[in-house]
Amino acid sequence: MIKLKINNISTEVPQGTSVLKAAQNLGVKIPTMCFHEGFTNHPSCMLCLVKDAQTGKLHPSCALPASENMEIITDDDEIHEARKESLELLLSDHVGDCEAPCRPSCPAFMDIPLMNRLISESKFDEALRIVKEEIALPLILGYICPAPCEKACRRTQVDEAVSICSLKKFVAYEDLERQDIYLPQKESKSNKKVAIIGTGPAGLASAFYILKYGHDCVLFDKNEEAGGTLRYDIPEEKLPNSAIDKEIEVLKKYGAEFRLNKLIDKELYQKEIKEEFDAVVIAMGNFDISNLDKFGFENDKFGLVINRDTFEVNKQGVFACGNIIRSRRMAVTSVAQGKAAAYSVHQYLNAQEPEKRHRMFNSKFGKLFEEEIKEYQKETIADQRQWLENGKIDNFTKNQAITEAKRCMHCDCRKPNSCKLRIFADEYRADRKKFLFGERKKIKKYFQHDLIVYEPEKCIKCNLCVEISALEKDTLGFTNIRRGFDVEISMPFNKSINKIFTNTAEKCASACPTGAISMK
Amino acid sequence: MIDIVDKIILEKGKTVDAVIPILQAIQAEFNYLPEKAMQRVCETTDISPARIYGISTFYSQFRHKPVGKHIIKVCVGTACHVKGAMLVYDAFRRELNLNEDEDTDKNNLFTVDKVACLGCCTIAPVVQIDDTTFGHVEPSKVSDILEEFLDIEKNPSIKKSNLSKSKNAVEGEIRIGLGSCCVASGSSNVKMELEKSLKTNKTNVEVKQVGCVGICNQVPLLEIHKPDETPHFYTKIKAEEVNEIVRRHFKSKNLFTRLKTNALGFFDDYVLNGIPKSTQSYSSEMLDSPVSEFLDGQINIATEHRGFIKPNDLLEYKRLGGFQALKKCITQLSPEEIIESIKQSGLKGRGGGGFPSGIKWEIVKNAESEIKYVICNGDEGDPGAFMDRMLLESYPFRIIEGLMIAAYAVGATKGLFYIRAEYPLAVSRIKEALKLCQDNKLLGENILNSGFSIELKVFEGAGAFICGEETALIASVEGNRGIPSMRPPYPAEKGLWNQPTLINNTETLSLIPWIIREGAEAFAKIGSENSKGSKVFALAGKINRGGLIEVPIGISIRQIVEKIGGGIPNGKAFKAVQIGGPSGGCIPESMADIPIDFESLAEVGAMMGSGGLVVLDEDDCMVDIAKYFLSFTQDQSCGKCTFCRVGTRQMLEILNKICSGRGKLEDLEILEKLAESTKKGSLCGLGKTAPNPVISTLKYFKQEYLDHINGKCSTGKCTEMVKYFINDECIGCTKCAQECPTDAIGFKPYELHIVDDEKCIKCDICRQICPVNAVVIQ
Repeated sequence: MIKLKINNISTEVPQGTSVLKAAQNLGVKIPTMCFHEGFTNHPSCMLCLVKDAQTGKLHPSCALPASENMEIITDDDEIHEARKESLELLLSDHVGDCEAPCRPSCPAFMDIPLMNRLISESKFDEALRIVKEEIALPLILGYICPAPCEKACRRTQVDEAVSICSLKKFVAYEDLERQDIYLPQKESKSNKKVAIIGTGPAGLASAFYILKYGHDCVLFDKNEEAGGTLRYDIPEEKLPNSAIDKEIEVLKKYGAEFRLNKLIDKELYQKEIKEEFDAVVIAMGNFDISNLDKFGFENDKFGLVINRDTFEVNKQGVFACGNIIRSRRMAVTSVAQGKAAAYSVHQYLNAQEPEKRHRMFNSKFGKLFEEEIKEYQKETIADQRQWLENGKIDNFTKNQAITEAKRCMHCDCRKPNSCKLRIFADEYRADRKKFLFGERKKIKKYFQHDLIVYEPEKCIKCNLCVEISALEKDTLGFTNIRRGFDVEISMPFNKSINKIFTNTAEKCASACPTGAISMK
Repeated sequence: MIDIVDKIILEKGKTVDAVIPILQAIQAEFNYLPEKAMQRVCETTDISPARIYGISTFYSQFRHKPVGKHIIKVCVGTACHVKGAMLVYDAFRRELNLNEDEDTDKNNLFTVDKVACLGCCTIAPVVQIDDTTFGHVEPSKVSDILEEFLDIEKNPSIKKSNLSKSKNAVEGEIRIGLGSCCVASGSSNVKMELEKSLKTNKTNVEVKQVGCVGICNQVPLLEIHKPDETPHFYTKIKAEEVNEIVRRHFKSKNLFTRLKTNALGFFDDYVLNGIPKSTQSYSSEMLDSPVSEFLDGQINIATEHRGFIKPNDLLEYKRLGGFQALKKCITQLSPEEIIESIKQSGLKGRGGGGFPSGIKWEIVKNAESEIKYVICNGDEGDPGAFMDRMLLESYPFRIIEGLMIAAYAVGATKGLFYIRAEYPLAVSRIKEALKLCQDNKLLGENILNSGFSIELKVFEGAGAFICGEETALIASVEGNRGIPSMRPPYPAEKGLWNQPTLINNTETLSLIPWIIREGAEAFAKIGSENSKGSKVFALAGKINRGGLIEVPIGISIRQIVEKIGGGIPNGKAFKAVQIGGPSGGCIPESMADIPIDFESLAEVGAMMGSGGLVVLDEDDCMVDIAKYFLSFTQDQSCGKCTFCRVGTRQMLEILNKICSGRGKLEDLEILEKLAESTKKGSLCGLGKTAPNPVISTLKYFKQEYLDHINGKCSTGKCTEMVKYFINDECIGCTKCAQECPTDAIGFKPYELHIVDDEKCIKCDICRQICPVNAVVIQ
């Protein structure tokens, strides 16, 4: 047995044990990407660097044998920096998007490509669920959203953007046509009550997610009908009241209570609201903000002053969203803010310090080179964009929607949640843009195989797939071609990828630490 | 084709470790690797397509496309780089009208390629076309060179010659160096002339081909040795002068007297087409002659009998004490005694790391195993270093003897020489020497009836600098891509085929026989406190007398540059030395008084490396030097670990940006930090030392980096930042206009010429060709 210390904790391990293993035995976590038990490919990624306290030198722990009286430090500033730098180097050579460009350009961060794929498979109900994860009012937005996502859509480099907005409206419509409209499973009931002042897009959206979090929710409005600007400012020919009614109806079914014809003044606020409710969301739209002084809220020339991360105003338990904090927003922004405020409310009601909802690290590389467009077209259909006759008032037929959804080019990664590069880039707050000195590599995509897709520009050269296919004697298997920066995992003799894998394709995809090899 | 491949397989074997020799043989046959041939190998051997394809694309020796009839190799080693190799490379490409993605001309006559180092640093820039080497190549002369080469092709008789051996009594001896530099400078032509002259004059003179003489930038060198006379040296001999020299020397003394009076004028002659322009002669008694100064201060241990011993004359080697050390070891000394002696000598590995050799030997000896291996590491890949080449070419028996002693001491029965493919002469000399040893029972079973047996063979590298790293070297011998692995385990415990393996550098082994013969104390007397013995350096760059030198460790940089090397040519100022190649660093002139030993060099951020010593003058841009080395290391990185694979590339990109004048101050910070983390985080020595040229230049020449960021490269080396300009000195001779490859200079006789910036590609031809130095860089 070998005695050593890891982070000053003494331990004993059998001869031949790696420091990584010894640390894991102690419950000390060390990040790894290329390491895979039982394989010899490592070390390559250098994420598992640890420090030998006696020499001050860094070593990859996966390949460092534990030795007598060794003293190992698994994390300090120097190690952290080195790991972060290794991630940043890998990211500089990783040409691929975690999220398709459309998604981050949507203020509500809707998972657009996934919606598209579900529609293309005729799974309209599942598509709606994905939409409602992020957008509470898809039908309404289907009429009025200016669709910034479509401006970011990569398909514009081929012909025209996918009709994302109309597809979203299509699935919303499909849902509302059904008997059992989709009402998401609520979290366990909290017996807490939230007042929402204002029933415009921000207020309605906020209500939806507050209900989803398991809280009760009452919406106040000065008008006799709910809808705020949606109903009173947008003309009927752009957004029919029937559409607003339908989505308000959904909210009601979901458990929202509406108290209308209630002009909120100081008295009402102090008595009815502060007494009865555990938290307040102010979503009064273009309300004259000078009146708000009376409530004791802080204003500036744009509107109500909030904490930009949590939407909390200068009073605990009071949150604000929508035009009241800065007017002339797109409705989709108000909807997104309503959702964000709901998230803060939920934390507040759980006695947690509200924090901004964390968005995972997103690798993005920008525009396609001319020669890359055809690579992206491999996964789509050639059909032109379909325009509805009366614009957004009309709706796609099922077949139209399916065809339109198939135009999506699947720009998002197939392993958005399991990619280790993304997970650790997120954890180490790596700066993807730090090393953008050279020209980036050109994207290629291999689709010929029945089960897997291979995207070499996402590869971190860990060589696991090469070893797996060689060990299990697959037909030909992957190989390394060239060396150094130009090394690429590829097919021997430029064979087609379906000719080189018969039995290990799936294994390679699951072992691949990034989205380079993924299941179709 | 299939038949040929099958025959090769029959000869090389079917196991995976035969893959590199098989591919080399296929390429030797077809000039490239036809896919059909490679597939045939996979069908009939244990070698898988993944392996063969991985290997053939890893090593730069292998080609996958047919090449032109002749291959032009432009050396871009350090010495060639500082003398404008890239301009030469560009000039060849222009001359052959190659597009960006092409390397072969339309007629399939020439293929142009860059090589890391041909090891002829003293006659830089060097170009090799097939087997013919051209030194001191200028961009403006590439068309002449191609023409000249084709002439030689048409008349192959120029090249082949054999010296006839005189059986009668000799009047004297003429020695001629036949190392690669000498041959490159035309010594084979001189040799041929010599043979002709001796025949026609019926002179009975022993002609002796010796290995590298070391004074590489004065070659071809003829030494005339006559009984009872001091030897005479003739430097930079021209073929057409040989006859006269022979006649005068062996009949009258007229020529010598003539030359003696005008010989001391020293100028850097360009050698074109292997025929030097001037001849100078010196008596070895002339104390202040360049030859004696060059040799003064040097010692000869690795290079014992330099300029005297014939490389492949076994009898002569034995007569001069060769194999005595081996005999003593295997018949009188125990392995423990030998190892003790090596420890006592203080010998440290000469490959760069400087690990105490005795301790390394002891670890291998103590490792318990039936089978052990010894390997001579001759994979010298540093651009700007050619020590190992010269030692292998000139003293093959000494290295064989050293390796055999090592094998006996550690208990190995098998060994090999790993020699890089770019050194064909070294490979053939060692192979020849091994055969001679075998024939004379100095190799094989029960050597000298001692009971000691050893089997030695040669493994040719395939073009990968990383294979100088011992774990990568082993991977390569085992038939894999040259990917290093984590140490420990060290090869001493678990090396070739998982057996204990001793890997020593060529130079280290060449010192062993001397240490055994003369005693450990004699060796330990030489050198500095912690670094003992001598070190061979390849002295090149901006230096009057470049060449191969062996000096006592502890000598100062200044002594080497100024005394042995004779200072900087053309009255330029000595700026820095680059020592240790891509792993080493730049040491400024102000620090040139430090002693050269392992410790002092490490302290100032350089390293001994394998011994490349490139002298830089005021015309050299230090940022460009750093960029040059990074472009080398990033190209040679195996690609396994993140820091080396991507880190070196990003460092290079940052340097490119700085050298183009687009650099920002924050780029410097990123560069500095990345250099540190690459040093810390890389897996093997290549990556860990690759940042050294950057770190050392940032340390000693920060101002130059800042100047670049402010848009100024004072030396004009960073072409993107400079403009060519013709000043009032111009005499309107139109030479520049005629030579300009892009017609950027208008043809206006007797008028001041003007450079059109739009058209100018900064090839530097105009500046080099201008008779009045009117072309300047701004």
